[in-house]
This record gives sequence, C-alpha cells and structure tokens, in this order.
Amino acid sequence: MNLERLIESMITAQSDNDSLMNALTTRLFRLAMLPLLGGWLVACGHQQLPQGVVYCSEGNPESFNPQTVTSGTTIDATSQQLYSRLVDYDADEGKIVPALASSWEISDDGLEYRFFLRHGVTFHHSDIFTPSRPFNADDVLFSFQRVLDEDHPYYWVARSGYPFFQSIDFTNQVASVTKNGDYEVVFKLLRRDASFLSNLATDFAVVLSAEYADQLLRAKTPELLDQKAIGTGPFRLVEYVKNEYIRYRRHEGFWGEAPKIDMLVFDITSKSSVRLSKLITGDCSVSALPKAGELKFIENHPELLLESKPGLNVAFWAFNTQKPPFNDVRVRRALSLAVDKRNILRAVYQDTGVEAQSLLPPSSWAYARDYELDLDYSPSKAMNLLAEAGIVNLSIDIWAMPVARAYNPNALKTAELIQADLANIGVKANIISYDWSVFTQKLNQTDYDSVLIGWNADNSDPDNFFTPLLSCASVGSGNNRSRWCDPAFDELLNRARASTDRLERTALYQEAQAEVSKQLPLLAFAHAKRTLVHRHNISYMPVSPFGGIAFADIKPALEDND
Amino acid sequence: MGIYLLRRLNLFIATSLLMVTILFIATIHFPTERAYAYSGIINPSAEQVQQIISDYQLDKSDVYQYFAYLSQRMSGNLGISATSQQSVAKELATVLPASFELACFSGLLALVLGVPLGVLASLNQHKLTQNAIMAITLTGYSIPVFWLGLTLSLWFGVRLGWLPISGQINLLYEIKPVTGFMLIDTLLSDSSYRLPAFKDALAHIVLPAVTLAVLPFTVVVRITRSAMLNVMNQTYVRAAEARGLHTGKIILRHALPNALIPVLKHLGLMLGAFASYAIVVEVIFSWPGVGSWLVSGIYQRDYTVIQGGILAVALLIIFLSILIEVLHTASNPLSRKELYASN
Repeated sequence: MNLERLIESMITAQSDNDSLMNALTTRLFRLAMLPLLGGWLVACGHQQLPQGVVYCSEGNPESFNPQTVTSGTTIDATSQQLYSRLVDYDADEGKIVPALASSWEISDDGLEYRFFLRHGVTFHHSDIFTPSRPFNADDVLFSFQRVLDEDHPYYWVARSGYPFFQSIDFTNQVASVTKNGDYEVVFKLLRRDASFLSNLATDFAVVLSAEYADQLLRAKTPELLDQKAIGTGPFRLVEYVKNEYIRYRRHEGFWGEAPKIDMLVFDITSKSSVRLSKLITGDCSVSALPKAGELKFIENHPELLLESKPGLNVAFWAFNTQKPPFNDVRVRRALSLAVDKRNILRAVYQDTGVEAQSLLPPSSWAYARDYELDLDYSPSKAMNLLAEAGIVNLSIDIWAMPVARAYNPNALKTAELIQADLANIGVKANIISYDWSVFTQKLNQTDYDSVLIGWNADNSDPDNFFTPLLSCASVGSGNNRSRWCDPAFDELLNRARASTDRLERTALYQEAQAEVSKQLPLLAFAHAKRTLVHRHNISYMPVSPFGGIAFADIKPALEDND
Repeated sequence: MGIYLLRRLNLFIATSLLMVTILFIATIHFPTERAYAYSGIINPSAEQVQQIISDYQLDKSDVYQYFAYLSQRMSGNLGISATSQQSVAKELATVLPASFELACFSGLLALVLGVPLGVLASLNQHKLTQNAIMAITLTGYSIPVFWLGLTLSLWFGVRLGWLPISGQINLLYEIKPVTGFMLIDTLLSDSSYRLPAFKDALAHIVLPAVTLAVLPFTVVVRITRSAMLNVMNQTYVRAAEARGLHTGKIILRHALPNALIPVLKHLGLMLGAFASYAIVVEVIFSWPGVGSWLVSGIYQRDYTVIQGGILAVALLIIFLSILIEVLHTASNPLSRKELYASN
C-alpha cells in the first residue's frame, strides 16, 4: 500500500516535472527573446537625435592652440573651428579676404601693413572665463607678441615653441607690431615679403584673447591658455576627453555667418576601418582620411558619399643630409632612382593621388616640369651611381609615420615598397615606426637616416612649400626633415619672397624646383587628393585643397533624423 | 569568522605588495629615464625636477626608491599621463565606471540566462536536448572572443545595420557623468533627449555585452548543470520528492541554492580570464573603459598610464577574488566547517 502510494507520487512528480519543464521552457524562451527584441526595437525605432554633426577624426590634438604645432590633426581640431585670423584665404577666388581685419593698407615700399579691425567681435565664454570686452587691437598685439618676443610672459609657456613661425623665420621678418587706437594695428617688416599676407591667413596665425591670458597669468595657470581654448571662431570648446571626443557648441556671437549646426563633436577614432564602420552605423556623419582600399566600398555603399579635390600637398622621402652617406648627392640620387614611384601610386594611393614631378603640386601657379634632370625609375643607373660613390653593403633606416595623413594614407606600406625596391639595388632597409606622438618626439632627436613624411600647404603661396621645408631657419624648427641648409638656396627663396611680381616669382620658384631636383634633399613622390567621406544626411561639406577642415559651412539635410 | 577575515585581509595585502613590487621592478627597467617613468612629466621645470627627486627619492638607492614609490602610489599619486598631461588617477576614475558597466551587464546576462539553462539541461530527460545544450556551450567556450566580436559587428553592425558597434553612445547626446554608468546617467540626465539617449546607450551595449557574456555564460551553464545533477541525487532531495513536494519548490528551495555554491566559486576562478577578455572586447568595440585606455597607453609608450592601468586591474582582480572566496565561505556551511577544523 505504502509502496504503491510512493510510486504513485513519484509518477505524479514525474508528470509535474514535465509540465514544469514546459513552463520553464516557455519562460526561458521569453526571457531570452527579451533583450533581442529590445535591441531590435532600439535599432529600428525612430531615432531622435539632437541636432549636430559628429566627425570621426583620426587622432588626439596635441594642444588647442595652432600657434604651437604644425600637425594636421591639431589644426583640424582647432584652427577653423575655434579661432579666427586677421585675414582669410578664399580658395575658390584665389585671393586674401577680410576676417578679423575688415580692411588693410600696404605702404608703397611694402614694409608697413596697416590693419583696420572689425568692431563688435565677441570672444567665447567658458566655465572659467567670461569676456568683459569685445575683441580689439590688444588681442592682436598679444597673439603676435607672444610668438615674437622672448621676454613675453607667455613666450615660454609653449614648450614646443612656435614651429610654423620659426620655420618661416617670422621673428627676423617682423620689426614691430604696434597699435594705433583700439581698432588699428600696424606691422612693420624688416624686408619686403610677398608671402606675408598669405602667412597671416594660414591656420597658425590665430588671434587669442589678451584678457583671458591676463586672467590666467594672475591665477598662475598660464598653460591653460593652450588647453582650454578661447577664441572668436564659429564654435566654442565645451569638453575634451582624450582618446574619446572633443565637443564644441555653436558660438552664438560669431562675427561671420552663423553655423547651421548647434553642436559639433570630434569622435577620436584612430583606426580607419573603425571610422568607416562608425560611418555606416551612423555614429558619425563625416569621416576623415579613408584608406585607398576602402574607396571602392564607399562608392558602392548607398548611404555614403565621397568628396575629393586635388590637394595642395606633397608626400616625400626626406634624407638626413647631415648624416653620411646621405651628405653625398650621388647616394641620394641613387636611392631616388631606385624607387618605383608609379608602383607606390598604384598600391598606396590608387586613384587618390598623382605622381609628383616636383616639390610643388601641379595646381600651384609656380609649378613647372620643364627641367631636364631625369628622375625616372632606373635601378641600373642607381647601381652605377652607388658604385661611383664607392658605397657597398649600404644599410639604411626608413622611418615611416604610423598614422594616415592627408598626403600619405599609408606610410608603412610605402616604406615596404621602397624597401623592396632598394633590395633590388643591394641596399638593405629597416622600417622604423612608433606611435605618432612618440614618433615626432624621436624624430626631433635628429639621428634618423631617412623619413617618409610630407607637407600640407597652409596657403596657396608657393613659398609655403620651400621656406618651411628646406630653408636653414627650418632646420632648427624641426620642419626641415632633410636637415638641409644651403645659403645659396636660402638667398634664392628670399629673392622670390621679396618680389611682388608674379612672373618674376614664378621664374625664381622654377629655379628653386630645379635646384631641389638636382640636390635631392628629398624625393617627392606623390600629391594626394583631399578626400572626405560623409553620409547622405549631410547635403554640403566643403573640402579645402589645403589647411585644416572647417565645419562652419556644413549643411545637414533637412529630413535628417534616421 | 573574524580570524578568517583577518587572514583573508592579510592575503590581500601580501598579494598586492608582491604585485606592486613586480610593477616597480618593471618600471625601473622601462627604456626611459626613471624620473619620467615615475612621474610622466615630459619637460619638467626646475621646481618639478626637485619635487620628483624628493617624492621618489631619486638620489638614493633602489630600496629607498621602492618605498618612496610605494608610498606615492598608496597615497593615490599615480603620476600624470605623458600624452594628455592629466593626472592618471583622474583618468582612471573616468574610465573605470565604463568597464564596470560593461562587466556588470554581461555578468548579469550570463547569470540570468546561464543558470536557468543549466537547470534545464540537468532536468531534461532527453539525451538530445542535453547533448545539444552541452555542444552549444562547448562551442561558445571554445570560440576566441576577438573572432566572435568581429563577426558579430560585421553581421549586426555592417551588414544588417541593426546595432552600433563602437563607443558607448552617439556623441550628439550630451550626458553629464554622474555615476559613470552610461545607462543610469542617461536616465538621470535632465535633457529632453533622455529616453532616446537611454535607448541609444542600450543599443550600444548589446553587442559588446553579448560578446563578453559568452564565456561566463557557457561556464555557468556547465557548472550549474553538473552541480544540479549532483544535488538532485542527494538523499535530502530524494526525501523531499518522497514527501510529495512540488518539483518547482524542490528545485528553487532545496537544490538550486546548494548548486549555486560551486558556480560562485568558479566565477571567482574565472575573473582573470574575464578581465583579459574584457580588455579585448573593449578594444574591438572601442568601449571607453580601462582596457582600451590601457592598450592605447601601451601603444603610446605612456608609462604612467601603463602602471596605473595594471595596478588598478590587478588590485581589482585580487580584491574581487578574495571577496568571492569570503562570500563562498560565508554562504557555504560545509567550507565553514572545514575552516573551523583547520583552525
């Protein structure tokens, strides 16, 4: 009897078990579906976004003051967004246009520049600074004195110096900057310089707030001037989180045409493939520097648009001419002849670049190709030259940038191609690369053999390709990666700068190009197009052939919200 | 119990000291100047040089330097990051919550899905279902996390476009960090975009959390199942069945609490693997946590960040393992008995 009941209860327990199993299964199934369903809803539901633009940028800015750097990443993040200059360059019209200076006069001898400043321009405010007065001549004086005057309290705050101004030898060019009333500034020059206005229109010659600088100096935190930036640009800086993002908001008192967007965010994403995937999933609307291999995919993707324009830039391989055996022009020529430039263009640039025939890109007005020195690919000539120079078993280091730059989307791959080319003439090459900030630091120690780097023009003046890159003054500032200093060449550049006659200048710059091709302190191999990818919900995104990216004129499409 | 806790505390201190010692030895062998490796200041001014020398006893022997290093790190001075020139401790405080959020979310996912499935697998009489569940968990256990993360982001992000695959939230939502947990912060924020922001943050966490949850999920299923099989054969369960108790009650009241004890223990053992998986997942999905911060610090040769990251992650793992062990002992009368016997 007892046994029977026990068995019975066991059986019911068993069937209980089964029904429980069913219940459990259904419950579990629902539980498992819940997050999936939730995710699906979130993904497909109508997404409501604040108005603004997210730009996938390629790296961290080193500073928030473009005076103190030359790196394109920093320029992109600061110059056109946060600051204004005295004058701007209009790339479409090809001329200098007013910015903070509403007009200017140049004296007949070309030594005195008189700027009349715009009235009623306001500076940004932040949580630590509220401007009490509008922009005036004091701000201009402060911004330039800081760069010019070694006794200025802010001169040494920038530990890295002012590389652009040093490379154009600005201190020996400007005799004085003075004000004449609150809205007039006078620059007196030591020598005539046709590129002076162009240099003031570059991304580096920004105007800072003197009032803010005074306040920071009193608070004994002058270094904040270059970090918590205050400018007069279309956007003000809200927040910067390293490796993550930079957030800007529209500057409501901007003197120019107000930007169409309320908020601008730089989403710092160093990997090109990640930038592309963020663009596809809609986390970014605009993205920097696509790799050549990704272009085909972008063209075929229904959501993405590629903008490109011939750029004023040059990618080159610079030889350290102060270090043997690179001080011998025959060695430099041999190495240059051994490099198959067409192959680099095919593999690295695909159709985003043109082969360089000169240091100047074809779109520059002083460009010339009609010199007879032949630099076409020829390993046999290269080997003869090396033999002539008495070099055997040469082994060199090639430093390659770790990041994509506008002028070279993939320096490491370029280095590998050059390595293979050099192996053909019996030269062994080692490729050296570090992370970007370490790379530039180590490069400044100047004991490298050769480096793959390049230059993005800051203005359309051809001088911008010569004086910052190959003059004696630029050896000290570190921009002259060839460490090449030739007084005769400097003299040639000075003559070209002093003249204001375009025909005469063209002739002089053509001479300079021929000299570079003869001496070969560097081998220019490509001029890249400026490319930018954006989603269809951006209807207009200007691409400038030179300088940094600017978001003030971006236009989002009206129906944008998905 | 008091003595036991004291001994665990001792263990914690001893392990941490050993870890800091190893870190110190590694630090003095970094290929750079010591002042820079300790402090992270690139171009120190004259006063800063003096300060660094006195802080880290640079003019004395390695032993002095070790104790100076120890006292600096213990007092919370982790130096400043070489790349951002901000205090490493402050940066750590901004990246840690994101990692906690991801870890909690995936841990929860693993437990909520894993325990019931493990129970199900143990109760199910069909060989086929059992084998299927075991096969799936074994597969999940063996899949390398980087492959899984990339595959998921390829399918659900790039191909189908359902879910975002990087970051914590669309950056257009301006969310003030309060707790550091993005999901909570979006709800706490007073912006008019609160709910869309929450949904967006939820969508962003799905793929990384699922990727990270796969490993603990499979372990939880397997351990729960074997523990349940073990417990269900115990005489007290059979007695409960014999008394005619409802099976659901037997499982929930009598079997499961006992079966969860080994699960807890295995969770503790899994912490190290879980943390390294979390670093990989954070890098794949650009999750702004301590893992991707540490990896980018390594790429940038940011020595103070490397030290700070290793210190934080290692201390956390040591602390949590010991905490789980204590919890295990507290919740398990059997191990308490062993403990008293051993004392």
